[in-house]
Amino acid sequence: MRAHGAGKVRRRAHASIEEEMTLNKHAKRVATLLAALAATGALAACGGSGGSDDDGTVSGQFEPVEGAPGGYANLTGEATLERADGGTEISISLDGLKFDTAYEGHLHSGGCDQADPGGPHFKFDPSGSEEPPNEIHFDLVSNGEGEGTAKVSSKREVPQGEAGSIVLHLAAEDDEVSSSATGDEVETVFVHEGEHHDDEGHGAEDEIACAELEGGSGATAGAATEKTVVVENGEPVGGVQELEYSAGEEIAFRVESDVADEIHVHGYDLMKDVPAGGSISFSFPAEIEGIFEVELEGRAEQIAEIRVNP
Amino acid sequence: MTVLPFAHALVAREDLPVPAWLFAWGASIVLIVSFFALSAGWRRPRFEEDRWRPLGAGVSRALLGWPLQALCGLVGVLLLGVAVYAGLRGTEAPDRNFALTFIFVTVWLGFPLLSVLLGDVFRPFNPWRALGRTAGALFRTVAGQPAARLAYPQRLGRWPAAIGLMAFVWLEIVYGSSGGVVVGVDPHAAGVAALVYSVYTLAMMALFGVEEWCERGEFLSVYFGMFSQLGSFAVKGGRLGVRRPLAAASHWATVPGSTAVVIASIATTSFDGAGEGAFKGGIEWLFERFIDAGLGLTFALRLTDTIFMALCFAGVGLVYLLGVRGMRTIHGAPSLATLRSGFAHALIPIAFAYLVAHYFSQVVFLEQAQFTYLLSDPLGTASTDLFGTASSGIDFKVISATTIWYVQVGALVVGHVVGLVLAHDRALVYWRDYRDATRSQYWMLAVMVAFTCFGLYLLSVANA
Repeated sequence: MRAHGAGKVRRRAHASIEEEMTLNKHAKRVATLLAALAATGALAACGGSGGSDDDGTVSGQFEPVEGAPGGYANLTGEATLERADGGTEISISLDGLKFDTAYEGHLHSGGCDQADPGGPHFKFDPSGSEEPPNEIHFDLVSNGEGEGTAKVSSKREVPQGEAGSIVLHLAAEDDEVSSSATGDEVETVFVHEGEHHDDEGHGAEDEIACAELEGGSGATAGAATEKTVVVENGEPVGGVQELEYSAGEEIAFRVESDVADEIHVHGYDLMKDVPAGGSISFSFPAEIEGIFEVELEGRAEQIAEIRVNP
Repeated sequence: MTVLPFAHALVAREDLPVPAWLFAWGASIVLIVSFFALSAGWRRPRFEEDRWRPLGAGVSRALLGWPLQALCGLVGVLLLGVAVYAGLRGTEAPDRNFALTFIFVTVWLGFPLLSVLLGDVFRPFNPWRALGRTAGALFRTVAGQPAARLAYPQRLGRWPAAIGLMAFVWLEIVYGSSGGVVVGVDPHAAGVAALVYSVYTLAMMALFGVEEWCERGEFLSVYFGMFSQLGSFAVKGGRLGVRRPLAAASHWATVPGSTAVVIASIATTSFDGAGEGAFKGGIEWLFERFIDAGLGLTFALRLTDTIFMALCFAGVGLVYLLGVRGMRTIHGAPSLATLRSGFAHALIPIAFAYLVAHYFSQVVFLEQAQFTYLLSDPLGTASTDLFGTASSGIDFKVISATTIWYVQVGALVVGHVVGLVLAHDRALVYWRDYRDATRSQYWMLAVMVAFTCFGLYLLSVANA
């Protein structure tokens, strides 16, 4: 008896190759973006990141990035991200900076080990503005001994697992700094005016150091990268999505659907309803080896295939 | 909540492809063993006589006496009835309906395993044989004489069984497609097919006699009987006995059409295994040509799969016949017809190995369903809980993917070795000089290596 999914590739044989390829690319881009943003939701929960605790506080040590400008070999420091009362507070303290120099930094969604350290900036609303308060930026000026601290807070809470890393740059000249005193700490909000950097604007030569928060991937045991399966018109965008894991890892994926249906993960036999235009997340340990279908139960439509290798 | 067609596959889990390194090890061992077999061949046949000897009379009386035989027949008829009823009246969710798992897993895959281990156990449970014998006995009682029957045309031999076997797998895999998607046969169609087959089988039994038809035409009896030839237990003259394993197989293929049955067995398993791997590209290509030619999706897919299934039969048959042709060139060879049926039994272990390699995990998983919720709730409508197990599920963790791989590759390697042993033994009968016999076996060796490596290849690309 052959599993009935056998027909999945034969389906829509009339669809043109170009169309399939475009869909594929699109889906990949969407998936990558979402995955990056939603990265490692389960990571903090599994304790994969050393500096995390139950109430959502994570911290990481600054390390000079590859290709950092000279003079930062002795840089040390720590970044702490604290989630409390629906808000987020980030504290930075650094030593080994150049004297009396202006720096800036951002919360990134990825880990320090990415080719572009930290990956893209963290955004509360993925399609929203590149400015605070949708992103978290801070400014820091070192003192006469090369030390500097900064504190920045946001009224919104950075979702668990999405605070990848803090990346420190030299301040760009067209940036203006507005400060407001809150208590004995200076809260600095970094404001871009007029022309602002796009992602490429931060050349590698600008970047100095990176502190890993929750963005570690690959190297961190038990890391789970949440993948997203997008369903449009009741069909998976880009064809049946392949999700591959090793036994013992955390299987984490999200289904975004424009139709309401029940999502059924075969073998593990998990069922969850997804509303039209909504999304639903699955997260469970990969404890059964083999190949399993994920399908829209009501429509009998396979949307993903989970492979768990020994 | 669901009113739309169910999408459950019968199989909720598919096997991972055998990794490349294991494929390489398997193939290497096969080649090394094969060359070793050539040099270390024995000189006198050892498996021509099965040396059957009876077990104690008490054992035979208990197992073969009418009370137990009648009970087995009753159980067989009852289960057939449940399968047909569940198929016709039960849920259309394949994995919740008793009919599909019972017919295509428990019976179809279970009995070959049982037959090798315990002998021809399908015989007492065969529902059509039980019904036929009962009808025959009633007729004798009423009419005072046995029913007249036609002489079975001997030339037909086991061809009806070979065709039945292909038709069964065709129904299972090819027929069950809709809108260009293979969905597997649905329970209702399986129920109807079981009814139609029952009518046909009972009619044939009435025409040619119950035992005659079971021996030649009833494909399940023939198919399971073929595998029972490999095992140690056999009934002779009303007594149960033990015999030398494998030896009985050497005389099985003397009935015409037997070669076709073995080839069909290997071909159908290959086709099932290759559909998701080796042949996927080809099947898609042909399917698209048919769509372009204006055929409907369902018809085009069925046609494509039918053609590929026929190609499998032709391909497996061709490889075997080439080997036979090759042996004919060796000095002192018997006729082509003799060779053709003379070595067919050496393919039975290969057929069995294919079966184990492709379906072992499914049997392990789906029998859990069979003996829990499917037995308690045969219709799958949550209306009954006969044994209190209706809410059980399948534990997929009972065997790991690695275990499955080792069983798959191990089965193929062992099947290969046993096939070589049987072929070498038979060659010693045909060629007086053992050197000629060994030379003839270069050809069979090539055939076996081809089948085994093809089997390994199928495993390594399945679902890849």
